[in-house]
Amino acid sequence: MKIQLAKVPVVIFLSILLVFFYLLTIDRNPSKIPSNLLNKNVPYFETKNLIKDEIFISKKEFGKEVILVNFFATWCEPCRNEHRYIKNFATKKKLKIIGINYKDNPNKTKKWLEELGNPYSDIPLDKKGEIAIDWGVYGIPETFIVNSKGIIKYRHVGPVTEKIYKEIDLLINKIE
Amino acid sequence: MKKNFFIIFVYIFFIQFFINHSYTVEPEEMLKNQEQELRARKISKNIRCMVCQNQSIDESDAPLAKDLRMLIRNKIIKGQNDTEIYKFLSDRYGDFILLKPPLKSSTLALWFLPIIFFIIGILVIFNHTKKSKKI
Repeated sequence: MKIQLAKVPVVIFLSILLVFFYLLTIDRNPSKIPSNLLNKNVPYFETKNLIKDEIFISKKEFGKEVILVNFFATWCEPCRNEHRYIKNFATKKKLKIIGINYKDNPNKTKKWLEELGNPYSDIPLDKKGEIAIDWGVYGIPETFIVNSKGIIKYRHVGPVTEKIYKEIDLLINKIE
Repeated sequence: MKKNFFIIFVYIFFIQFFINHSYTVEPEEMLKNQEQELRARKISKNIRCMVCQNQSIDESDAPLAKDLRMLIRNKIIKGQNDTEIYKFLSDRYGDFILLKPPLKSSTLALWFLPIIFFIIGILVIFNHTKKSKKI
């Protein structure tokens, strides 16, 4: 019994070591946090729309079709890098994309979109970053997929890359 | 010589002490009501900065941390209690935003494993000393 008890710390130590080793080998980013909003309704918000005269009301827009929501800003370099993928979703996949413009200057955003092209059907303005907080956003760019019932089904923190583009592309076909 | 080392040690210790207790709340953020401001500071110290992740929003100068500090103060002014504010934040960012995770079925291991390990450690030491005494 005594000998067995003495072995316990060694066994625990080895199993902890094994878990750590496993976590090191798998492909994961420990700083990424799963969204608490997954499988929940889109947060309610209303704000100015950069490209339309009417006020953007979330209740009116979500819940009809699958929508890609992209938080972006002109001052964010990764947003520029991912923009071609966001455009591909609009042109090739015919997806409705809402671009929430985070803490930005509307004039700069207009120029930015003229230069890079506008894949967004609506651009609600989040001047103070309050909408982003409601969505649990902490590092733009962030991309969400909302299903036709207005429920958030996917979230990606950081720029959309080739790998993420393919991942979202596969998911869109499954999400209704 | 030893005395000098001791003085340097004490000096560094105190500098470290004050560095660890620095905060980034800007003057314009502060509430006029002292009691409310203290409540806001207390909550902020328990909220993780999602950008830096190893700092509380009270210490972090990330823009999101500032937004959250302001949000907490606005909610205090509106009369919300601490539980409501914590719930608002964890509903959006998950329990990860709380520096002290709540006791739930999913966090049982987190809360009780250290105690279990401690007891095992005590038992092992106890057995070991008993055995060596016999020898």
